[in-house]
Amino acid sequence: MAMTDTEVEQGGQPEATSLPQSDAALPDAWPKGTDHKYIGSLFVAAALLFLVAGVVLSIVMRAQLATPDADIVGDRTYRQLFTMHGVFSVFLFLLPVWLGLGSAIVPLQIGAARLAFPRLHAMSFWLFLAGAAMVTAAPVASDVFHGWALSDPIPVRLGLPGRGPDLLLLGLVVVCMAAVLVVINIVVTILQLRAPGMTLRRVPVFSWSIMVSGAVLLLALPVLIGAFALLFVDRHYGASLFSGFTGSRGGNPLIWPRLFWFGAYPVLWALVIPALGAVSEIVATFAGRPLFSRDRASAALVGVGVLSFAGWGSEVTNLSRPRPLFILGALAVLAPVALLILNWLATLRLAGKEGDRDALRRGFGSTPMLWALGMLPVLALGLAASVVSALDAGRDAHENYWQVGQQHALFFGAATIGAVAALSFWGPKLWGRRLSDALGKLEILAVVGGTLLTVLGMLLLGVQDMLVHTSTFDSGDEWEIGNLVVSAGAAIVGLGLIVLLLDLLGSVVAGRGKASGADPWGGQTLEWATPSPPPRHNFDALPEIRSGAPLLDLQVGQSRSRQSESDLASDGGTA
Amino acid sequence: MSLVAVSATDNLPVPASGDAPVVLPTGAPLPGPVPGRPRRGTSTIGTLLLVTADAMVLGAVVAVYLAIKEGSTTWPPSDVQVGTYIPTMITLTALMSGFSVQWGIFAARRNDGRNAAMALILTLFLGLSMANLEWLSFVRSGFGFNDHTYGTLYDILIGYHLLHLLAAIVVVLVLAFRTMAGHFSTDRHDALRAGAVYWQYTNVVWFIVVTVLFILSRHG
Repeated sequence: MAMTDTEVEQGGQPEATSLPQSDAALPDAWPKGTDHKYIGSLFVAAALLFLVAGVVLSIVMRAQLATPDADIVGDRTYRQLFTMHGVFSVFLFLLPVWLGLGSAIVPLQIGAARLAFPRLHAMSFWLFLAGAAMVTAAPVASDVFHGWALSDPIPVRLGLPGRGPDLLLLGLVVVCMAAVLVVINIVVTILQLRAPGMTLRRVPVFSWSIMVSGAVLLLALPVLIGAFALLFVDRHYGASLFSGFTGSRGGNPLIWPRLFWFGAYPVLWALVIPALGAVSEIVATFAGRPLFSRDRASAALVGVGVLSFAGWGSEVTNLSRPRPLFILGALAVLAPVALLILNWLATLRLAGKEGDRDALRRGFGSTPMLWALGMLPVLALGLAASVVSALDAGRDAHENYWQVGQQHALFFGAATIGAVAALSFWGPKLWGRRLSDALGKLEILAVVGGTLLTVLGMLLLGVQDMLVHTSTFDSGDEWEIGNLVVSAGAAIVGLGLIVLLLDLLGSVVAGRGKASGADPWGGQTLEWATPSPPPRHNFDALPEIRSGAPLLDLQVGQSRSRQSESDLASDGGTA
Repeated sequence: MSLVAVSATDNLPVPASGDAPVVLPTGAPLPGPVPGRPRRGTSTIGTLLLVTADAMVLGAVVAVYLAIKEGSTTWPPSDVQVGTYIPTMITLTALMSGFSVQWGIFAARRNDGRNAAMALILTLFLGLSMANLEWLSFVRSGFGFNDHTYGTLYDILIGYHLLHLLAAIVVVLVLAFRTMAGHFSTDRHDALRAGAVYWQYTNVVWFIVVTVLFILSRHG
C-alpha cells in the first residue's frame, strides 16, 4: 500500500516542482483533501463523538447502579451497555484521538510540510470511519454482551445467534487496520521528513511519545487483528479454534484471553504514553524552561513502551497461578511513569528557583497547565492502585471492581485528561481559536474531581468484593455507598465533558473564541513558529534548529540581545 | 529532490489565504540542505514497517497453532497425510523468486531497464506457479476446513500466504510496467526496493508457514 503513494512523491519525473503540483491536485481526489491537519481534526472530531457515546452509555449504567434494586435496564441490556462502553472508549475514542492529534501535530513539531503518505492518511480515516460504523451497528444487528475483552464466558458464546458479534469483530479488525496505517505514516514521517538540524534526539517530547506509542501499537494492534479475525472465523465459518475440548479435533478456549491480553495490554499503555508526552510538553512550556532532563523523559517514555509488553499476564484471570514474571512486569512498567512525574516536578521546582516567578504563576493559571496538573492526582491514584493490583495478580482483584477502578484511573482517566489537555494546548494552533478560560476551569474541576470520586468509589467497591459484571444489588447491601459515589462521580464527569463539548462547539466551530495568534503560550517547539491555523504547507520559513526547543533558544537569544542593548543605554528594567 | 528538507520549504506556493502575513520570531532563513543526510527510501521504510505489523498478525495465528498443537495428543490428526512434494516445490520456487526479484533491483541500479524488466517478469511467473501449487495443495489436502483444527489452520496459514502472494504479484506487475516505462534508474528506484521488500517478506511468510505446518508437524 505504501507503493501507491510513491508514485506521486518519487515518481518518474525528475527533480523540482512535482511536490507542489501534486499537493495542489490532491484535495479533489479525496473528500476533505489530504492535508494532515484536516484529516487529523476529522479523527479528533470522530473520537469526541464516540467519547460522548461512551459517556452516555456509562451514565445509563451508573443510573442503574446508583440505587439498590433499580430496574432501569435489565441484566442483558446492562451487559450490552458495558460491552459497547468499553469498545467505544478504547477503540473509538482513545485510539483515534491520539492518532488524530499525532498526525495533526507531529509534522508541525518536526518542521515538515506534510505526512510521508498523505493519501494513505486520508484513506486511513475513511477506513476507520467505516470500521467504526460497523462496530456501532453491531448491537443493532443482534445482542453483543461479551465485555470488551469478548471473553464472557471464555472465549465468547459461540452459539450466540445473530450477526452482532460478527459485525463487532470485523469492525474492530477494520478499525485496527486503519490505526496501523496511520501509525506507519506518522513513524515514517518522523524518521524521514524532519527539518534540517532536527536530529532524532531533538524531536519534541510529544512527537517522541507519539513515535514510542506508535511502535507499541505497530506490534500490538496486529496481534488483536489476528485474534479478532480468528474469532470471526470460529463464529462465522463454524471452526473451533477457541472452543471445544483440547484434542486433535477441537481447539482450546484458554488461548483466547491470553492472545487478547497479549495485544490489548500494550495497546492500553500505548494510549497513555502520548498523554505523558503531551503533559511533558505542557509542563515545560508553562515552566518557561526545558524539562529537568529531556533525555531522561524520552528514555522513560521508551521504558513504558518496552515494559508494556511484560505485564499482559497480570490481566488474564484464568492462569492457573499468578506468574511471578508477570507481576514483576506489571510493576516494572510503573517505574518509568513515576520517574517521569518526578521529572515534571523537578522542572517546576527549577523554574521556581531560577526563572521569573510571576511568569510561572501566570503559567500555573493557564488552562492547559491546569489540565496537565489535574492529571497528576489521577495518575498517582492509578499507579498506587496498580501496585496493589499487580501484587494481587491472578486472584480476586482481577474479577472485582478494584480492577475497574485501577483501569479507569490509569488508562481511561489519565489518558482522557491528557488528551483534553493536549486539545486545549494545541487546539488553538490547529483551529486558530482558544477555548474559553473561564469554562475551562469549570471543566477541569468537574472532570478531574468527578474522575477521582468515581475511581475512589470503584476501589471501595473492589475492597467490598463487588464483581465486574454486577448489574444490580439489594438494598441494605454494603455496596450502596460505593455505588452512589461512583454514580455521582460519573455524572459530574459527564457534566464536565458536556461543558467541554459546548465550549469546543462555541469557541472553535462557531468561531467565537479568542483568536489565538501564532504563539499563545510562549511555546518552545516549531509548531508555534507558524500562524494559527497553519497554512497548507505548514511553514514559510523555519528558525534554525540547534536543540530540542528552537523557539526557547530564540527567546533566550532575544532577551540577551535586548539586555545588552539596554546595558549600553545604561537603562534598568526590561520586560 | 532527494532531500525532503528542500521540498519542505522551496517550491511551495505562497499562501493564498487572506491572513495577516506570517510574523516569525526570527528572520533567520532556513539553513541549506545538510550534507550527508539524503532522506531516500521513504517507501522502503514504510513497507518495512507494514511488513513488521503484518508479521505480528501472522505471529498471532502461529501462536494459536502452536498452542493447539501442544495441547493435542496426536498432531496432526492420524488420518492426515502431511505431504512433502508440493511444499518442497513451493519452497524452491520461493527461493528462486527471491533471487530473481533482487536481480531486478541489481539491473535497475545499473540503469539496465531491459534486464530489470526481464527479471521482474520472471519473478511474476515464479509467483504465479507458487499460487498454482498452493491451490493444488488446497484441493489435494484430503480434508476440509472444518474437519479438525489442523484443517482450519492449514487453510488459514496457506491462504494467508496465498493472499500476500497475490498482492505481491499485483505489485510486481505494476513495477514491471513502470520499469518498461523507464521510471527507475541508479538514483531513483525506491518503489522497486519497497516492492522487493514486500516480495521477500511474502517468501518469509512461506518459510514460516512451511516450518509450522509441515516440518514441525510430522507423525512420529
